[in-house]
Amino acid sequence: MFEPKRLHPIASVINTLKGIKNMLIPVAAILFSAGRDGGLSMIFSLIAALVIVLFTFVSGILSWYRYTYRIENDEVRIEYGIFVRKKRYIPFERIQSIDLTEGILQRLFGLVKVKIETAGSSGDDEAEAVLSAISKGEASLIQDYVAAAKNADTRDTQAESEIEQIFNISTRQLVILSLTSGGTGVVISALFALLSQFDDLIPFKRLFRGLKDWAIHNLITIAFFVFIGLSIAWMIGLIITMLKYANFAVVKKEGDLIISQGLLEKKQITVPLKRIQAIRINEPIIRQLIGYGTVYIESAGGSSANEEGANVTLLPIVKVDQIRSIIGPYLPEYALTTDFTPLPKRAKRRYLFRSWFFTIPVVTAALIFLKIWGLLALILMALGSFWAIAKFKAGGWSIHQRQLSLRYRTIDRVTVFMLKNKIQSLEMQESYFQRRQDLGTVGASVSSGFGGAGGTVSDLEISDVQKIYQWYSREKQKQGSLD
Amino acid sequence: MLTEPQNRISPKALTVWRISGVIRAVIEWSIAATAIVLLHIFQGPQWISIILIILGVIFTILHILIFPSLRWKRWRYEVREEELELQEGIFIRTRTLVPMVRVQHVDTVQGPILRKYKLASVIVHTAATMHTIPALDETEAEELRHYISKLARVVEEDV
Repeated sequence: MFEPKRLHPIASVINTLKGIKNMLIPVAAILFSAGRDGGLSMIFSLIAALVIVLFTFVSGILSWYRYTYRIENDEVRIEYGIFVRKKRYIPFERIQSIDLTEGILQRLFGLVKVKIETAGSSGDDEAEAVLSAISKGEASLIQDYVAAAKNADTRDTQAESEIEQIFNISTRQLVILSLTSGGTGVVISALFALLSQFDDLIPFKRLFRGLKDWAIHNLITIAFFVFIGLSIAWMIGLIITMLKYANFAVVKKEGDLIISQGLLEKKQITVPLKRIQAIRINEPIIRQLIGYGTVYIESAGGSSANEEGANVTLLPIVKVDQIRSIIGPYLPEYALTTDFTPLPKRAKRRYLFRSWFFTIPVVTAALIFLKIWGLLALILMALGSFWAIAKFKAGGWSIHQRQLSLRYRTIDRVTVFMLKNKIQSLEMQESYFQRRQDLGTVGASVSSGFGGAGGTVSDLEISDVQKIYQWYSREKQKQGSLD
Repeated sequence: MLTEPQNRISPKALTVWRISGVIRAVIEWSIAATAIVLLHIFQGPQWISIILIILGVIFTILHILIFPSLRWKRWRYEVREEELELQEGIFIRTRTLVPMVRVQHVDTVQGPILRKYKLASVIVHTAATMHTIPALDETEAEELRHYISKLARVVEEDV
């Protein structure tokens, strides 16, 4: 482990592929821009494209050749760079987590990608190290080294190193997850993005001119094809979700939660329990109807380049009433209560007014300019009102000793559990209209990766808002209920 | 009821805010003027120009005369041993609590207008949020920065 080592040669292929991926759009642009005139410019652009591809290929190999890693003096030491040689030494204590990923290429050769994460304080993507392809044995050796070195300091606090199973996704859950995921939208937008790339290549305009007459006579056929297209997109989305979340499992090992997932591309994320900032349950509308939700943890690790490090899916799909029994025992600091103080009745009007504030001008404008068709805008208003009432119903709060829980709705219903010593700042707000009704808004921020997260609930009883404020204030507690 | 935070920001903040209100008004008027000239050239409807002028007058009055004094009246802060409390907002009154143990670092900043009036703003960073106390006396801001960073260092809890 002490002499410098190279990554597996397959890393050069990975580097090249990554380079090509980055170059794809510029190269395509060069090819398409000049390609139509034929003759000399065509040859030039072809040569240019070839040179670029060749260059990426060579630099892929060179960067593999120059990249070495070793473990020395309780540090992971990496040296790399083609023209500018760089050295990066990461002390073991600074390592937050070591994540393993097996992409398709790595799996073919029995390798893993190792991502060494440091705390997100510096914020740039340079803060971490990625060993893009090393053997599994090597990876676990590194893990052991780091774990051993870390445990040497805290041996007496954590003696046992048993592995506790927390969650394994069942086939049924996987199916429900895939059926209710928003994968369809992603596929469709990707398709559109792809089509717009080939804008120059396919003569849309010419095609459509002929199509227009034909289309008017064949509306049903078109509707049919659109339907087929959407179904295919939905199926692809479904399969992608399935592949991503298959074999999803959570275990607890010493002070860490280890989350592994994926069928084709395997991924393993380690989250130290100490770094958990908040627990969040999201219930999208469809899943809420059948009583399911998703559990996330906000973690202080991760850098800006690696959002995943901060916002980790803990349970991708689970019956909401079972959440407490599944993760409760492993997160004893948190009381995963379902007992929330709702908003007062008069808050409902405020939610409705706030929604009408936006929809009524739209509806009036639509009625003025579109005449009778403007009535369609009323649907928008109805939807807005419906959403406002749903938001009102979702709102709630509770305090359980050292924990503040907030519940609110954006589109999903969100429940956030935050411990007092993890809340970075607390805010209470009163607008002019709220003050007249003795209502107020409360918001709490927790740290999450490179930025913040947290929750805000509008239109609580003002006395409740003050109660929360007093609960958080360290000084006002001392004063007691004097004022 | 909760008691309000004790300290106000420097009265000179009013002048500074009025000056920046004037700068803002100048920018707004130049945009409005361009729009009106364009409308005139392309013979757009006149009522748009009239609305623009009315809006211009209203915003000028708000930004230079009304908002600065409302804002100043509302702005309060208090630095206690264990926490920092802020109050601000004209229409929406916001009160914020920042525990000292959560403070990561403190900055003072001073733009050209603030410098002319010997003022500075103090910015307090936590791991998730950023809070500004605008327009304090230079020396007061400096002292506050030292004071907060000293208090923040005293207690060490893990994040």
